[in-house]
Amino acid sequence: MNLKNFYNKNYIRTTFIFLFIFQLFFLLFTMEVKADGLKKAKDTVELLLSEAKIHATETIHLDPIIRTKQIKSLIEKYINIDFMARATTGPFWKKATNLQKQSYKSALLNQIINTIEVHLNKLSNLTYKTIKTEPRGTKLIYIRGIIEDLDKVQPSVNLLWKVALNKESNYQILDLEIENISLISSHKAETTSLLRRNKGNFDILIEKLNKTK
Amino acid sequence: MNKFNYIQFFFLISLFLINGCSNNISTNVTTLDPFESLNRKVFYFNKKLDDKIINPISKSYAENIPEKARNSIGSHLEWMNLPNTIINSTLQLNVENTILTSAKFLLNGLTLGFYDLDNNETKVIKKDFGSTLAKYKVPEGPFLMVPFLGPKTTRQFSGFIVDQQNHSNMISGKVDNINLIEQPIKIIHSREKLSDTIDSIYKSSDPYIKMRSFYLQNRRSRVNSNKKNRKLELEKDYEFEKLLQ
Repeated sequence: MNLKNFYNKNYIRTTFIFLFIFQLFFLLFTMEVKADGLKKAKDTVELLLSEAKIHATETIHLDPIIRTKQIKSLIEKYINIDFMARATTGPFWKKATNLQKQSYKSALLNQIINTIEVHLNKLSNLTYKTIKTEPRGTKLIYIRGIIEDLDKVQPSVNLLWKVALNKESNYQILDLEIENISLISSHKAETTSLLRRNKGNFDILIEKLNKTK
Repeated sequence: MNKFNYIQFFFLISLFLINGCSNNISTNVTTLDPFESLNRKVFYFNKKLDDKIINPISKSYAENIPEKARNSIGSHLEWMNLPNTIINSTLQLNVENTILTSAKFLLNGLTLGFYDLDNNETKVIKKDFGSTLAKYKVPEGPFLMVPFLGPKTTRQFSGFIVDQQNHSNMISGKVDNINLIEQPIKIIHSREKLSDTIDSIYKSSDPYIKMRSFYLQNRRSRVNSNKKNRKLELEKDYEFEKLLQ
């Protein structure tokens, strides 16, 4: 029996063809899943901005408490506060009690709400455009975009959103870099310095954060 | 060499020495701030100066001078700095940026830079002597808070002195003449442009750390090579992925 007969007789060719087709399908499937993930991550950022814009114009005459509540729900939907809390406290996070963790998360959330409230009214005159989406590693997705002033008075600002799936398998924003300045990095520098100077005392940090409202 | 040049020369040498020593201390520290307590004092001095003098002037500058005129002043200040970018792009062997900056400098020279004739179409990358030193792998050195000038790394501060000397040599031949007029205008104009960011820094729980973090992140991203920036990005990604597990 020569090699060709052996090849035909033992269904090796069929197996090879089957394996090739299976691999092709698998590759196409994973590519599809990845592309779908990129699109969903991009939509998350764009939806957040468009909802914030709508919110800025529609709630301008509402009671400030109701307005804040609505911003809070918007942030909780699109921003991964749990991740941000862990990322901004570094090694100190593990040493905090559950109560301290919860208080820190709510202080952080309030800080983000305050920042957004200050800048919300400026959103109506700005346009956002996604430039590039790219997968990073196994979990992260980078979305690069640009904010432009419709009146061309202010210079355009480059943004980089870092997005990943949360525990409930929804895409959420982990970090935002504005002109290469990461919100997580700058907040982490601030909190870890405070914690280090106060021997890891979370209560002092939370008190300080609440005071800087 | 007159007395001023001697002082400047020895000052520069001492800055380079600080840079060299800092490199021996550690190479892995992300923020090198051995003079933190002194820097904090200078920061609060600058903050007081800002509260009492610079911020009120910049506010009245914003209120009394129309936006178009302010944009023209900004454009003129940028145009005045283009020769430094040309010199440093050449030193960094960045031919494209040298040509683009030279063309922009010559074109806008028709209006002394007060009106940008190419409507900001030519994207010029600003280069200073600090970035040239970075290109030739001079270490960043400790973080410094300089009175009146604000945050700087030792490397950038050394570069700043060289740039100022070049700048005034090109225009008037005397440091004092040009700096006395240009620097205060530059400070007021920049304060007005960055008012939102600076105010948010002052409102934070530790304004000094926030200022240092903002400055270093921005400076490093502009000065580091693409390769180094990519490496830093990968390190951050790794840290994020670890936290996501």
